[in-house]
Amino acid sequence: MKPTTRLSRISARTLLATGLAASLALATGCAKSEDDGDKSSVSKDQGDSGQVVSEPSEGSGPTCAIDAYGGKKLDLESATVGFSQSEKEANPFRIAETASIKAEAKKRGVKLLTANAQSQFSKQISDVQDLIAKGADLLVIAPLNSDGWEPVLRSAAAKHIPIVTIDRKINTKACKDYVSFIGSDFVEQGKRAADQMIEATGGKGDVAILLGAAGNNVTTERTKGFQDRVKEKAPDLKIVFKQTGEFAREKGQQVTEQLIQSKPGIDGIYAENDEMGLGAVNALKGAGKKAGDVKIVTVDGTRNAVQGIVDGWISGVIESNPRFGPLAFQTLDTFTKGTKVSQDIVIKDSAYTKDNAKADLGKAY
Amino acid sequence: MTDLALGGKAPADRDRILRYLQDYGVYLGVAVLLILNIFLTPHFLSAENFRTQAVQVAPVLIVALGMALAIGSEGVDLSVGSVMALSTSLLSLYLGYGTWIALIVALIGGAAIGVANGSLIAFIGVQPIVATLALMVAGRGLALVLLPQLKDVRDPTMASLGSGDVLGIPYLVLIAAALALVVAFVVRRTTFGRQLLAIGDSRPAARLAGLPVRRVLILVYVCSGVLAAVAGVLATARLTASDPTSLGNLMELSAITAVVVGGTPLSGGRIRIGGTVAGAVLIQLLTATLIKHDLPPSWTQIAQAVVIILAVYAARERGKR
Repeated sequence: MKPTTRLSRISARTLLATGLAASLALATGCAKSEDDGDKSSVSKDQGDSGQVVSEPSEGSGPTCAIDAYGGKKLDLESATVGFSQSEKEANPFRIAETASIKAEAKKRGVKLLTANAQSQFSKQISDVQDLIAKGADLLVIAPLNSDGWEPVLRSAAAKHIPIVTIDRKINTKACKDYVSFIGSDFVEQGKRAADQMIEATGGKGDVAILLGAAGNNVTTERTKGFQDRVKEKAPDLKIVFKQTGEFAREKGQQVTEQLIQSKPGIDGIYAENDEMGLGAVNALKGAGKKAGDVKIVTVDGTRNAVQGIVDGWISGVIESNPRFGPLAFQTLDTFTKGTKVSQDIVIKDSAYTKDNAKADLGKAY
Repeated sequence: MTDLALGGKAPADRDRILRYLQDYGVYLGVAVLLILNIFLTPHFLSAENFRTQAVQVAPVLIVALGMALAIGSEGVDLSVGSVMALSTSLLSLYLGYGTWIALIVALIGGAAIGVANGSLIAFIGVQPIVATLALMVAGRGLALVLLPQLKDVRDPTMASLGSGDVLGIPYLVLIAAALALVVAFVVRRTTFGRQLLAIGDSRPAARLAGLPVRRVLILVYVCSGVLAAVAGVLATARLTASDPTSLGNLMELSAITAVVVGGTPLSGGRIRIGGTVAGAVLIQLLTATLIKHDLPPSWTQIAQAVVIILAVYAARERGKR
């Protein structure tokens, strides 16, 4: 009895291992997806070529100079820059963000070290420590969290390594723990989305909001901006529905399906990201609505959403600019040359409407 | 007064009520929600609305059918959401060979995860919750390695699978209904079904009785994996996109809720397919009601939790007897 048991155990394990290995090989080895043909043309556009490069909007806020921060002047061209990305490059925003940093480093001939925290904060902390240990003179960080940075930033500050954070702010002292924050103004994005919605609907009717993930500052700020602007400029535009689509296309579709059944007369939908907006388009198509029946305004500026404007389903897209490369390097360059830089730098977000969507489709990420 | 009156024969009466609630409470819940909505929710009583609810519940129901088998064998399958993600990745990667080949590869992916789950449980003796937790993590990881980001599906066959219908009944609903009938038949009328329930009742006894315990257990998890892959394929067809990052997130919780609320005990040995269907419908109606009335999203989660606690309470009282 015993030998057979053992034999069956061994063979089971072998079976398991070979099965998994074989399926993995099968899955990766001979895959052939729908559009392998035009893949290269898509990825070619992902860089910075031909895209709107951000301009630092000169803020009136506090500034930071190298004497106040500590450290010495250096020449960016001969320096090593470390870049710590928060999430894996699995969505268009992160892909474009990392590509922009890499492209700008290449353009300026700067040596770039990169790390990706894969959405784990503890990994990002050790990533930053590694980058410092590997000899990074300057750091660009896309933080996963706003909190918990004090220890690692203190050790960087001890070495007087200038740090620029992009797309998310960290809750420590600017010009002491880090130099500048470069990011979008999410409240402003909400306001601009409201402007587009007011224009599309003529300023009256019922609109719904597809909220982003709960407890996320992007959600709160994009909601606040939209509501404030609607209240101020178009009191006849009523927000009658606010439900979360969790920033995902599927949830956006499901929630919109419920919405158009219980409120068939809805005039507009403000989706706090493109994916939920595309889900809403799916739902409207499924319900037999025609393009333009319900005005949709989204935020992000991905290629699919801008294509949605060209097709007539989406009225407007407010961009959330992921191309931090030029601005981040420019800030570091200015700072290390000894000129003061703004502590809060707002990146310029463009917008897409039916007037420019077709022409600017190539600029969408 | 009432308390005193109940004093004498309370245990038997209470027991009967609880058993009744466990067995039929879910149907009562569905009926109550339907009636409430008909009176309170505008435009609820329309063909399009019922169509929407049925289409949205279809993938959850299909996953719950597999979950019912796993729970009936005194196990659980936490990997179902990740299997959905894996199937959508595989589907997207293989569509170049044609729809049917891609579909088959996606289902094989689900079966492979099922074999892995079942082997860990049956041969190595790992607890189902641990084994399937491991594959839940590994499956999502593999799905994202294969397809790191959302990709549109332009295949016309897939699109019509997602939005087409026969005589006004969407394919998704037909497929879910057919699978529910098949699984109900398998549980009640086949040797496999009886062996599964015997194993769920008592694994040592089943082994002593000479039942092929390992083979049956592996087959249970293969069924669960394949059903989850079917759900993943259908969800992909409806979305006309493969989104391995978010597809199937928290699906294991919805499926377990549907099964448990439907009166299938977590202790195994008994499977209620009708109850599982009603359980899935109950959660769908609950979510839809709260969304349609624009109540804060966090309420949906709280309401679901209340339903689970009620269901488990009814089951627990009965088990204690």
